Amino acid sequence: MSHTPVPHEPFELRGDALREAVLAYAANPLYTDNEEWENSDNPYRRQLRPQVLPYLDFDRVPGRERILEYSSLAAQRLLTSIYEADLVFFPKAGLGELAEDFRRYYSPGNRARGELIRPALERFAFGFLDEEVEVSGDWTTEGLLAYLDELDVYAPGEPSAAEKAIRDSSDPQRAARMWLIQFAPDFLSEASPMARNVLGYYGDEQSEWFKILIDEYGYGVHETKHSTLFEATLESVGLGADLHRYWQYYLVSSLALNNYFHYLGKNHEHFFRYVGALYYTESTLVDFCRRAENLLKDVFDGSADARYFSEHVHIDQHHGRMALEKLVKPLIKRHGEQIIPEIVRGIEEFRLLSTIADEDFATQIAWMDDADRYKELHDPVYEAIREGRVTPPVADIVEPYGELSNTHSHEGDELCHIVSGTMRFVSGFNSYRILEAGEGTVIQRNRLHGAIIESEECVYQIFSVGDHRACLS
Amino acid sequence: MPVVTFKVSGADNCVRVADLPYVYIRTETGGSVLPASCPHRGGPLNLATVDAAGRRLVCPWHERGTSLSRLRRQVPAVRSGDTVTAVLPGPADVPVEHCHLPLSPALAAGA
Ligand code: FES
Ligand SMILES: [Fe+2]
Ligand SMILES: [Fe+2]
Ligand SMILES: [Fe+2]
Repeated sequence: MSHTPVPHEPFELRGDALREAVLAYAANPLYTDNEEWENSDNPYRRQLRPQVLPYLDFDRVPGRERILEYSSLAAQRLLTSIYEADLVFFPKAGLGELAEDFRRYYSPGNRARGELIRPALERFAFGFLDEEVEVSGDWTTEGLLAYLDELDVYAPGEPSAAEKAIRDSSDPQRAARMWLIQFAPDFLSEASPMARNVLGYYGDEQSEWFKILIDEYGYGVHETKHSTLFEATLESVGLGADLHRYWQYYLVSSLALNNYFHYLGKNHEHFFRYVGALYYTESTLVDFCRRAENLLKDVFDGSADARYFSEHVHIDQHHGRMALEKLVKPLIKRHGEQIIPEIVRGIEEFRLLSTIADEDFATQIAWMDDADRYKELHDPVYEAIREGRVTPPVADIVEPYGELSNTHSHEGDELCHIVSGTMRFVSGFNSYRILEAGEGTVIQRNRLHGAIIESEECVYQIFSVGDHRACLS
Repeated sequence: MPVVTFKVSGADNCVRVADLPYVYIRTETGGSVLPASCPHRGGPLNLATVDAAGRRLVCPWHERGTSLSRLRRQVPAVRSGDTVTAVLPGPADVPVEHCHLPLSPALAAGA
């Protein structure tokens, strides 16, 4: 009997098929808009703004200059939701009335639909790294060690753009809370992406990696689990520690940084990249946490619980060393120098994503701090529109009391103009301005924002001005 | 081994180590760091052309071809955005000088 082999087609979802699959995933009731700014003790709800997804094109690879746009935020939110279906979450208060949500989130249907769109979303979200980071030449162990030496990972570094933004903010405590919120997706389920790498059967290095993992998990003593320490940090500054309470306040770059490790951990073909990124993050976290500890002490006058950070100043000196001596070097011995380019690539990709996250956060803090200036800019920009000096596209919107525009961003500057009623315009955690009839605000491109209607009804206009400075001349 | 970071284009696109200049080049098949000096008599490989098959760099001095893939393997390097870090041969403390070398159009693809 002869068989004609079925020709092998690589799996790929593109165009309309991709769009429809994304919509099918996001149609799960878990992902609809929230009527509140925060989720409360429901780890299964994640606002994906499904109503906007039909207009987004994920069948492309945005370059670095476009990765902070709304499409990327939407993709990173989707990916977070997809990756985390591998993790176990329960409400702090017990399952109670959330059994239905629990099943919806972990159902084979939700998981299968997520897996179906994941490769395309990963390509969309992280494809720019192929262009941005390129490793070339024949790498030897000696060359790698020289390069690692030059990185000088333990050296006391300059404060990052994010840290400077907090210290220089007009409201450093608010900025610091916004900052801690950005870490929550990572730190509350800390080391879960890493745990993806300790399953299987691959020799001594597996057991070495396992040792790092059990440090992260506090050796089974819940009080010392790193996530427990971070909960204490959140609570000490008045924030909630239930999972994704602040989902709407995550910036695209913070999600990208966290998803990056899931992306590498989920796709084991990138195993060696993960090893590189692990080495870099564990070793540089030592100095970062030292600075973070001081920053929290200064900003909250000593009242913030910073044990999460002091623990890492200590243990990550070991983790950096372990990653190098027990993982990087033995893995090269076992698999050959061919794996070095991937290790280097993981390091550089993670560095780049960190820089992007840093700058994105600093820009968001400036956007929050400048709320008055953006509100004042309404007048001259609206004037330019009224006088016909500029003719941007406009949307007329009527919304009832309590309508909450879940957080999002726009690819160009917009002008929000209130015709009647009252809007609370939100530009970050604890950051808002009340806009009354005749008032409004310029909305800076790519900046996270949302709004809620505080009057019986609100009539307002959104002008897509592109670059608001062009309206001022 | 000296580890050197420099720009992939513009004013500081070259480093000189032990009298040998290194540049970042990029052809259709990707980027890499090369010694910009022809193995024959030291002609300027930064001004080389690529042969019709795309396999060799052709030196402008005596038109000798050098295998591009061999040249590419020579220097381990990683580019991130518009800077590149290269691990160069020699003692770690050798003096390094940043400088500029023009690139032929064939070696500046995507610049
Ligand atoms: S120096 Fe290059 S071919 Fe002679
Ligand atoms: Fe940790
Ligand atoms: Fe660690
Ligand atoms: Fe908006």
